[in-house]
Amino acid sequence: MPTAVITGASRGIGLELARQYLADGWLVHAGARRPDDAPGLSDLASPRLVVHRLDVTRSEDAASLATSLSGAPVDLLINNAGIWYGDDELYGRFSDEAWIEQFRVHVFGTMTMVAALQDNIAASEGRTIINISSGSGSFGWQAKSPDYPYNSSKAALNMLARGLALDLRARGIIVVNFSPGFVSTDMTGHDADLDPATSVAGMRQVIAGLNVAASGSFLRYNGEAMPW
Amino acid sequence: MVKKVLITGASRGIGLEFAVQYAAAGWQVHACCRRPGDVSFDHDIDVHALDVTDQASIDALASSLEGTAIDLLINNAAIFGGPHQGVGDTSDDQWELVMHTNVIAPFRVTDALRGHLARAAEPIVVHISSLAGSIADNHSGGIHLYRTSKTALNMVAANLARDLAGDGITVLALHPGWVQTDMGGKSAPLSAKESVADMRQAIASASFAMSGGFFDRNGRPLPW
Repeated sequence: MPTAVITGASRGIGLELARQYLADGWLVHAGARRPDDAPGLSDLASPRLVVHRLDVTRSEDAASLATSLSGAPVDLLINNAGIWYGDDELYGRFSDEAWIEQFRVHVFGTMTMVAALQDNIAASEGRTIINISSGSGSFGWQAKSPDYPYNSSKAALNMLARGLALDLRARGIIVVNFSPGFVSTDMTGHDADLDPATSVAGMRQVIAGLNVAASGSFLRYNGEAMPW
Repeated sequence: MVKKVLITGASRGIGLEFAVQYAAAGWQVHACCRRPGDVSFDHDIDVHALDVTDQASIDALASSLEGTAIDLLINNAAIFGGPHQGVGDTSDDQWELVMHTNVIAPFRVTDALRGHLARAAEPIVVHISSLAGSIADNHSGGIHLYRTSKTALNMVAANLARDLAGDGITVLALHPGWVQTDMGGKSAPLSAKESVADMRQAIASASFAMSGGFFDRNGRPLPW
């Protein structure tokens, strides 16, 4: 049975990823900061769902998840956990601490998860790491709002993914970043043009067809290339 | 009228060379560094104490220059982040320090001096970035702290270009080349003198239309 680890799985895109991979017969390890307050995950009620208390900014949480796997292979790690401050992303409206927190969640947290699980991933058949990035982290995507913490941390995540793809190539691990599209979730205030099911179905289809040559790329949910 | 430049991280390396060359060219130079006692110049240069990670220090600098028009701000202060930058070898606290110094600080310094820049006729903000921050040019991996910080800095520069356009401020991210400095090491092919001479020329011929872009020391565009 293929195994996925999904961070930020209590709602939005993460929850939909968990739902669809479970429906496809996978074993899903779902990370949530507050597992007791994750009704979406409770509703999934699958014997193949394991919920973990996981704050990606806490390396001890990642370590205990890894320990609980006791060497079991992980075919797919999806670094999905993310935060966005809305209008408080704009010029002059954010604190240094708020900006750093986005780096911690989007960038350092991704490294923490990869470092904790790279042996499990290398031992699997799938050997795939997916990071949910954003068009907001793309220099070439001109339509984005100038959201300083979010844009800069997602651009940094795109750089990290490119570097990880190179670093982990020798272990046969594929690393790909996605722009999921503007998806209607709690983060976007449900004011978006794409529903999570469509975005996730698109990403799952692209993920299923990935090979080593695609490692290090940045793709839209439908598989089209994104500009850096 | 004498042009004014403010340079962060001016006690050594590229920042020091910028201070010396602009002073020699007749500019009024405000050279900022953490410990002003550590630096002495032959030229008539105003040396200021500035810790770019300390907002109070940035605010004090901006206040001390109240009413001064700044033609050119060079956000040069940066750190490499040490040797532990591989998968499984990184420290979040160290990474935070790199991000604060290399990404957030250039924003905060620019923000604090926005009014000073807006007083100049053709103000320019130069962020000293690095080709190591080019995602498209990353063919070797590693050095994740430094690389991600320079990519993030480029994004800050792109955002600032939009937000400061109304004040007529041009914002550039420049790659100085691989330069013989404490950071670049002795085996680097380029002297600070050559690199800075080239960058000064690129800055002198920069246009507002280039704002938000990422360029090499000769003003040629680099890929994101």
